Order: sequence, then C-alpha cells, then structure tokens
Amino acid sequence: MTNARALKGRDHLIGAGLCVAYVLLLVGTATDLGMSRDESFYVHAAKSYAGWVSQLFSDPALAFGRESIDRAWAYNWEHPAWMKLSFAWSWLAQKHLGLFPNESLAFRFPGMLTAGLLLWLIYAWGASVMRRQGALFAALAFALMPRVFYLSHLACFDIPIAFFVTLTAYTYWRALADRRWVPLVGLAFGLALATKHNSWILPGIFLIHFLWIRRDEARAGRIERSSVMWLPSMLVVGPLILVGTWPWLWHDTWARLLAYGRFHLSHVHYTYEYLGVSYFEPPLPVSVPFVMTSFTVSLTVLALALFGLYHRREGLRLPWRTKLGDATGLRTEVLWLGCMLAPMLAIALPTSPIFGGTKHWITAYPFLALFAGWGLVAAVERAELDAWTGLRWPSWAFAVLCLLPGAAETAHSHPFGLSHYTPVAGGVPGAADLGMNRQFWGFTTGSLAEWISSRLPDGGSVWICDTTNGAWAMMQRDGLIPSNVRATPSMSDADLVLVHHEAHFNEVDYQAWVAYGSVQPVFVLRYDGVPIISVYENPD
Amino acid sequence: MPEAGRKLSLAAWVWVLIAGLAVFELVARPLIHAAIPSDESWEAASAFVRARYQPTDRLVAAPSWADPIVRSHLGDLLSLRAAAPSDLAGIDRVWEISIRGATTRDEPPALEEDFDGVRVRMWPVSTDEVLYDFVENVENAEVELVGTDGSNACPWTSARPSGGGLGHGPMTPTERFVCDPRRPWLWVGATVLQDLELQPRRCIWQHPAGTDPVRVTFPDAPLGERLVVRGGIDYNSERRRVHGPVTLRVWIDGRLAAELVHHDGDGWSGIDLDTSELGFDRAEVRFETSATDPTARLFCWSASSQRGRSD
Repeated sequence: MTNARALKGRDHLIGAGLCVAYVLLLVGTATDLGMSRDESFYVHAAKSYAGWVSQLFSDPALAFGRESIDRAWAYNWEHPAWMKLSFAWSWLAQKHLGLFPNESLAFRFPGMLTAGLLLWLIYAWGASVMRRQGALFAALAFALMPRVFYLSHLACFDIPIAFFVTLTAYTYWRALADRRWVPLVGLAFGLALATKHNSWILPGIFLIHFLWIRRDEARAGRIERSSVMWLPSMLVVGPLILVGTWPWLWHDTWARLLAYGRFHLSHVHYTYEYLGVSYFEPPLPVSVPFVMTSFTVSLTVLALALFGLYHRREGLRLPWRTKLGDATGLRTEVLWLGCMLAPMLAIALPTSPIFGGTKHWITAYPFLALFAGWGLVAAVERAELDAWTGLRWPSWAFAVLCLLPGAAETAHSHPFGLSHYTPVAGGVPGAADLGMNRQFWGFTTGSLAEWISSRLPDGGSVWICDTTNGAWAMMQRDGLIPSNVRATPSMSDADLVLVHHEAHFNEVDYQAWVAYGSVQPVFVLRYDGVPIISVYENPD
Repeated sequence: MPEAGRKLSLAAWVWVLIAGLAVFELVARPLIHAAIPSDESWEAASAFVRARYQPTDRLVAAPSWADPIVRSHLGDLLSLRAAAPSDLAGIDRVWEISIRGATTRDEPPALEEDFDGVRVRMWPVSTDEVLYDFVENVENAEVELVGTDGSNACPWTSARPSGGGLGHGPMTPTERFVCDPRRPWLWVGATVLQDLELQPRRCIWQHPAGTDPVRVTFPDAPLGERLVVRGGIDYNSERRRVHGPVTLRVWIDGRLAAELVHHDGDGWSGIDLDTSELGFDRAEVRFETSATDPTARLFCWSASSQRGRSD
C-alpha cells in the first residue's frame, strides 16, 4: 500500500517542462488538423458566449437579464459551460491581442493547455507514489497514445474532462491525509462537473474507495480514521461551481438541470461499427472499450499496466482480509483501478447509449498510464537492471524502448488520429479487415484541403458529407480551404462530393452514384492503403 | 539462494517479454506498411483487367473495403446496375481484384495474376441471361396513383434531385414519375438503395402511399423462363424493425402472379416466378405497392425477365 510522498521543486520543474513541451508540440502540429464536427458546435457556442461576456463588461445589468442569458446561452445547452467559456476567453484574447497565428488555434488552445497540465498532474501523482522514472514514463506514455494526441489538439471536452477527473481524484486522495486539500476537492469536482458529465461517476468511485479504506482502518484497529470531509466539499462546492459558471442555469435552474441530465441519460445512439457490425441501438458488446483500448493503445504500455497492477496486487487486498494491527494506507491502487475501470464499465453497460469512440472512456487512460509507470518501475526493479549492470542507463534505455512504440504510432497517426489502429489490430488495414470504425466527426476533410484547392483553382462548391458548415468555414478562415470554394447542401449542385467512409455512410456513396451517374471517384484519400474519403466530381 | 535465483529469472523473463513486445510493435509497423500495395500495383492490375473486361463481366473487390479504390481505377467500366446488382444474372465472368490475400470465392480461378500485392483472378460463370431489366426501362412504364375515386397518372418529370445526406434515403433521380408534389417521397424512378446489409441495390423506388396502391405498368414487357423480383427497404428505415410490412403485388396480363410481403428484417429478398408455362413471350406486367401504414416505407424493388443459357 502506498502513501503520498511530498513533491519537491524539481518534480514540478519536470512537470512544468512536460506541460510546456506538450503544448508546444500540439500547437506546432495543429494546423495539420481540419476542424472536426463537434469542435464546430463548440466554436459556435463559444462565440455566442463571448458576446455575452463582452456584454457583461459593457452593460452588466442587461447581461444578467434572462433575455440576454437565454439568447446567448441557449445554443449547446446540453453541455456545461466551463471549457466553452475558456474557448470564448481565448477567442476574445485573439480578437483583441492577436495571440495566435490562426483562429482555430485560439479556440483549441485551452484544450491543449489542459492536455499539458494533465501530463504535469500524471507526473506529480506518479512521483508521489513511485520512482520518478515511473512517473515520467506514465506521463509520456499517456501523451504518446495516438488518440490522446489527436484529442489533445481539439476545442472539445474530452482531454479537459480527463484532466479535471484526474485532478479531482488527486485532490480527494490528498484530502484523505491532509484536510487542507478538502476545499480543493470541491473546487476540482466543480470544474469537472462544469466540463462534462463523465464527472458524475466520481462520487461513486470515491465512496467505494473511502469505504474500503475505512473498513481497512477499522479492522486494523486504527483509532485515527480518514476524514470524510471531502464528500460535503464535493457535494456543496461542486454544484455551486457548475451553476456559477453556467449562466444558462441561472434561470429555471431545476428544470434546466433536469433537462441536462435527461439529455445524457437518454442520449441518442450513434451508429458505430465494431467487428463488422454497425450497432445503432443498445446493447453495444461489453467488450468494446476493452478491445478498442487494446487496438489503440501501445501493447507495451498495456502490458506494463497489467504488470503494474499485478505488482501492486497487495494494495488491492479486500478490506475484510485486514487483520488487527496491520498497516493501512491510502489504497491508491484501489482508487486508480476504480478510476480506470469505471468509465470503461459505464460504456460497456448494456443499457448505456451507444457512443463507441475511445474518447468516451478516455478519463480511464491517465490511470492506465500510471499503472504502466508502476509496471515499468517493477520490471526495472525486479530484473535488478541497475544493480546487475552497476549503471543507471540500462533502466532508462528500457523506459525509452517501452515508449518508442507509442511515439512511433502517434507520429504515424497524425493527422488521422481517429482512424489509427495499432499493430495488435493489424494496423489500419487490419482494423478495416476486422470491420472497425474508420472515423467519425468528418475530421479527415482537413487532409483533403490541398487536393481540393488544386482541383478547384477558380473556386467552386463541395458537398462536404460529415463535415459541418462551421468546420468548413473555420478551415477557410484558417486558410486551409480557399474562400471561393464554398460548401453546398446539394450534391447535384456541387462540383465535388465527399464521402467519408464509415459503413453506415455507404448510403451517401450510393447517392453520389445516382446524382452523377457514375460510380468512379476521381480521388480516394487513403490512410495506410485504406479508403478514408472518396471524392466524386460533377460531370456537368 | 535457489529461491532468489528463481525469482530473478522470473523477473528477467517479464523484462524480456515486455522488451520483446516493444520490439514487436516497432517491427510490426514497417511490416504492415510494406504490405500496402503501391499506386503502381493498383494501376498495373487495373490495366490488366481493363484490357480484358467485357460488358457482361462483374468486378468485385476483396476485401470489400478496397471497393472504392477498385472503382477509382475501373469505375468508368461499371454501370449502376453492375455496381449495385440486384441479383447475379447476366454475368459471364467475375473478376476479383484483391489485396492482403482476401478472396470472395474458394474454387480455383481460370486466370490469376499478381501485381506486387494486388492479385487479379477471374472465373467464368454461367448465370441466367437477362432478357429485360425492368429497372433500366422504367421510363417506358406507366405510373398511376390509385385512389377510391379512380386513379391519377403520375407524369414522367425532369425535376431537381434531392440534396443527399446521411439518413436521407436513396437519391431522387433527376428523371422520375412524380405522383404528388405535396408528398415529395411519392415518386417512382430508378435509384440505388442501401439495403439492410448496407449493400447497393439498383432498383425502382416505389414508396407505398397507403392501402390504395401505387401502380407501375409495363405494357409490353418481354418474358422468359423466370421473372425474378427482389425488393427491400432503406437501411435506416428497416434496421429498427418497428414498422409494418410493404406488399408488392405482381400482375401479369391482368392476373395476380405473385404477392411479396416485405417485413422489416427480411433484407434484400424476393421471389422467382416461373413464366415458362404462360404461353406468351410478351405481356403487360404490373407492379403495385401498398402498406397499411406507409410511414417510413422506403421501398425499392427490381425485376428482370431471365432465361437459362442455351450453351
């Protein structure tokens, strides 16, 4: 069982270094990524909220009125405000100070920042309980997960919620031993609530963990018990922050909160291809999050995580096996395991709405990475690499070797992050053979921008399939797509028709055949030889 | 000490295993990449097929996900009927263009060539001859919307096609019979359906209007030994299996020859009518669709007169 070790300035220097380096890497590679479907909605929302923020400064009385709030905040009411407000602030900064080279980066930067902070946090938590080498490995292993790398670029909520969930878990864990952290649990949980609904499961995880350690303490005969003060902090401060940062809830609070809850508990089902079947209604196979994780995360990291779990199995000992006088601790292993498994199990439940994408359980991956860090430390220590050789570099070389597959896969995945599969699936072609989801969000249109520009040198129109008009407009403002190449809602009016290849999008392929009387695409964008987008050209 | 030695070897084994996994991953990526056929391979294979292709040939891609690549090279050879076959009739040879060792047939081919990762195989097949394809001749039909107060003719119209999009169903063709402009789905024409298995089917869209039939009449259609009728409902409407059935009645020279009742879940399916004993080569053939509840009944059918090969 592991208790917290105090962090030193050097630890935060390393964490900050990881954060800055990752954010710079994300900024440097963001222009390769066309805006995705969901980003375009959040950008639209952020602009609307930015207008309200501006009004708040110019005419606060009017801004607080219901009419102003409803007008600005009705759009995208189904998601809390925190990250969209961050996007709005960043965009306002861009408007007034011109901080970023293009507009999309202004919206994306807050998400990138949470990605960097998450690395810092993973390192800090890891360094609190294991050798720094393991902590550093955990942070880098997370950073070098291909889908994490893709999502870290976006003006979306997936990486931010992974950060705030991990932050809440960390503050809770600290608060168990140090009451000064108690208010921070509520603050972190509030920000998690205000980011995305993945946060709803946190009190349940913490409660199980807490009861586990309290039972432990009772059986061991400890007089001093862990404090439960984290719970009221979460339950009081958390909702206050949710409501306080989300003006939409300032009127009709209960009705709107209930509508928000209902929206996600009875969410529409996405059609999702998995092992050759397009699922469109529950139940999605229980195996989805586990198989998708094994197909998209480096096998070496997964093996290290399993080894780390095995190595730390004593920390997972059931509480009723604790005997009087036994040492007790924070049961970090139980907490991490809960935080890792709960999001995956939530998606695996037969009653859960069909989402499918790894992003929906991505909050599990920081903990997966932390277990991998433990696994690395255990492998190095048990093999006695340092003692055997008398040198330190072999253990570092081993760590680098274990990170290389993730690094290579991530480098190769860009800018096709959501289409990428690891060698366990046989790579991208192997996953296509298996009938795995090829993509979603229409994000791959960005990879066609150059081709489209050269095909339509004098401008024209494009039927953009799964890409939204907002995403297209952003690509135009970013300079990826010429302004005289417009999106059109009619295939027959378009000069070019894009078909994003997903199994259930075959319908669109067939529509293009009839519209143009031809089944021959003029271009097929491929990733590792697998069709990603077919382009048809209007013969007229 | 033996215990310590045993533990050390176990730990070393774990270390080697994990290092081995890392090496496997690092080696696997370039191997996967090396197995991807080049554009030159695709072009060479396509040129080989193109030089030998005949209009009665069929092209298939293996694995099926490679189909867009095959069509990008050879799609100009394919009619909509060839790309979206309603059945296997009218085919003399099957060309399979495959990668990654995938195959669609077990029997040995009559011809096989490999183009550095792209394999071309050909099989002669002997399927029934198509005498008359009702889908490709739909403009020769007469279409009417039957009601309690008689029937209204649906004129052949050249009109704006639908916009297209996910969940929008089959594309409305430019030329079609329009039965009721107030009900934009009430048209008849040739399109391509996405069936329950997500496969393309060249067919005649004939959405039922209710219990009164939508009627399509081919006044003088050639008949053969069989009239092969297939039908299906758009994937998005059929997959949920919540709507009522669609009835397709086939009349030959005023006599009810067959009734196909299509339930959600049936997928692309139909009947083969024996017409060899009717005693005439041509006849008026009528197709009527109806449904108790026409909601979301995006029904599409195909039919062809066929006869066995004489050779």
